[in-house]
Amino acid sequence: MGAKSFGHYQQIDQCFDELVHKDGQIRTPAAAIARFIDRHGSGELIQRQEQLNQTISAMGVCFTLYSDGNNIDRCWPLDVMPRTIPSSEWQKTSAGLKQRLAALNLFIDDLYHDQRILKDGIVPADLVLDSRNYLAPCKGISPRYGVWANICGTDLVRDGSGQFLVLEDNLRVPSGVSYMLENRTVMKRVFPELFADSFIYPVDDYPHQLWRMLASLSPRPGDVPCIVLLTPGVYNSAYFEHSFLAQQMGVELAENTDLIVQDDIVYLKTLHGLQRVDVIYRRVDDIFIDPEAFRPDSVLGIPGLIKAWAKGNVSIANAPGSGVADDKVIYAYVPEIINYYLGEQPLIDNVPTYLCLDKKQRDYVLANLDKLVVKPANESGGYGILIGPRSTKEEQQQMAEAIKANPRNFIAQPTLALSTAPTLCDGVLEPRHLDLRPFILQGRDLYCTTGGLSRVALKKGSLVVNSSQGGGSKDTWIINDEV
Amino acid sequence: MLLKSLDHIFWLGRYLERLDDTARLINATSHLLIDSHKDSQFSWPLLLDVLGQNGAELLSQLPASDLTVEQQVMGYLITDVDCQVSIRAACTALKQNARTVRQLIPRDMWEELNSLDLFLQEHCQQLQGRQHRYRLMTEVSRRCQMVVGVLDGTMLRSDAFDLFNIGRHVERADMTTRIMDVMVLQQLQPTDIKRPRFRWTSILNALGGVESYHYYLAHQNTEVDAVDYLLTYADFPRSIAYCLHRVAASAKGLPHSAAILQRVWQLQDLLKTQNLSELTTGQLHQLIDQFQTGIIELHQVISTPNLELSKDLSQQMSA
Repeated sequence: MGAKSFGHYQQIDQCFDELVHKDGQIRTPAAAIARFIDRHGSGELIQRQEQLNQTISAMGVCFTLYSDGNNIDRCWPLDVMPRTIPSSEWQKTSAGLKQRLAALNLFIDDLYHDQRILKDGIVPADLVLDSRNYLAPCKGISPRYGVWANICGTDLVRDGSGQFLVLEDNLRVPSGVSYMLENRTVMKRVFPELFADSFIYPVDDYPHQLWRMLASLSPRPGDVPCIVLLTPGVYNSAYFEHSFLAQQMGVELAENTDLIVQDDIVYLKTLHGLQRVDVIYRRVDDIFIDPEAFRPDSVLGIPGLIKAWAKGNVSIANAPGSGVADDKVIYAYVPEIINYYLGEQPLIDNVPTYLCLDKKQRDYVLANLDKLVVKPANESGGYGILIGPRSTKEEQQQMAEAIKANPRNFIAQPTLALSTAPTLCDGVLEPRHLDLRPFILQGRDLYCTTGGLSRVALKKGSLVVNSSQGGGSKDTWIINDEV
Repeated sequence: MLLKSLDHIFWLGRYLERLDDTARLINATSHLLIDSHKDSQFSWPLLLDVLGQNGAELLSQLPASDLTVEQQVMGYLITDVDCQVSIRAACTALKQNARTVRQLIPRDMWEELNSLDLFLQEHCQQLQGRQHRYRLMTEVSRRCQMVVGVLDGTMLRSDAFDLFNIGRHVERADMTTRIMDVMVLQQLQPTDIKRPRFRWTSILNALGGVESYHYYLAHQNTEVDAVDYLLTYADFPRSIAYCLHRVAASAKGLPHSAAILQRVWQLQDLLKTQNLSELTTGQLHQLIDQFQTGIIELHQVISTPNLELSKDLSQQMSA
């Protein structure tokens, strides 16, 4: 089948396209989509995009933007063209993601106990111990199963050859999974015939898997666990996701004022009095969860929570302190970390990374700022990043100063030719860059979502996929190619 | 259910009912007022009075304009986001409460609430002619009923479900007393003689109860009128008696059911002990005042169970 299905779709030379081969042939997993467009024409695609937008607005799928001190609910942007991945490839990827999280959890547990990996000189000790994400009060604590990061959102990108690489591990409060679920619900309503025509793996067991994982953390196994989702509140940018997940799992959505700690037991203030809490799925940064332990100025916290947790009376997911492994400098060491704890080679590689704290690597970075992507070690949401080839001389100069002042805080990576997928832009299919955020759970068992949230940079040529900065999304279809 | 959610889910029920009732009231009153055989001396500002606003005062503050009184009143009641009794304000409040307790409400109901909100944002921006208005208000009412229907078919029978229903029926009882107060009693001269039988059945339109009123009349031994009907006829879903019955039935599982039921019984006693047909208009007026006060107290009892709970909390805290 020729690429005529996608009109005059023009691929970008050095980039891997998710739906189309280099020679213009449609990739097998995308065959049903191509047939659909052949049969109905691209005008139909535009109409479906219209329907899709209406569905999203009727379903109330939104995200919250802070603007001029106001919170504005924006409709979630979803592109009508799905992104397809063959299931054989996904199996390997998902194994690699589980391997990675298992190793990271062994690493975190080690850091808060014997610190063998530091003593063995695999990871420089000062790098960990001086990190603001290393929380000394967590030393000696043993969360259930020795697992600290129970929920991980790992960002994957493809390089020019189509190889998946890990871009970063989000171990603090990764978000986006609700949009993965809602994207699928919307697409099923808008393209029922495509779902009938292909073998697309479902994604909708995630809330149940999340609940099961959280329940497995309960310090009172045997009883029906009381699980709450802790949110900063209705004004938080991810509140949609918090309320969505609470509703889907059937657990309470609590703010700090709904919880109280007494005699090192956490209670929920319910209509019928106090109820003991077993597991807290926190969507609040760990340094804000207990003013007694970390930040006395925090108004979000619950006094005494950390003590209750340290005593093993309540589980917190992700465990406080797990952010220590969510650091772009630590990231560079993950391949060694996997090898050290598991004795295995990483199934998914890192993006090549230069550490500015190493003099030789720093000199290289400073000399090549116009070619590299420079990232601060501890920011998220795509903020504070310098994209070399698209930056001005002034911006490069400023970044050079910042690096010299605090080399530990920066890493650099080559500018990747991120993969693309056909995306409906002003009624025409054009290639747009995208990434993929699968979600991995670890409690008693390990679980990885089938696919994940595909985020797409809607601006031509842009590599920034964050929804707060003009990014959109695509439904991600893992298509069975093994029948 | 969280203690904090009580108020939000209760108000969710109240605002949804308010939206429905206001839309009905607007349509019914419009029909009444454009009727060439007017059987009353009502005027448009009365609508504002029913909703607890001082209509005459509000309108006198408006800058001079080409708008008719009808248009000005409808501006307040439908499009004005700052007027707290307007359709748009009720919908905004509805949405805010729904957002806060979203984890408690079924997905289908969330979607109905959303499309209701989107519909109003799109269609209640500008005032339109009567015909358009009639269709709009009918649609608002219909969409409110959709929310209730979806909820009834999908929501867990829980504290949240009960509180939502209590909210709806408290609001409905409130609206019925307001309509009686402003549209019936304030139009009568207070006298010491027995009140005259009033036949303003068109008012019952506002409550969607004309047909069942005729059924009621046809099946009573004694001579009755719309006042008896609206207060005591428990088979009519907008009567005070029915609303109180529903509040009591829904309150049974709540931790503060005793306090709520006590209030409900007090109000039910008010209905039983009075021989309504013997009351003068002045006495009837007093009775309605008592009901309105009673409903406000009932609301307070429902939304503040923390008198007992905080004791409960502090006991557990000191234990």
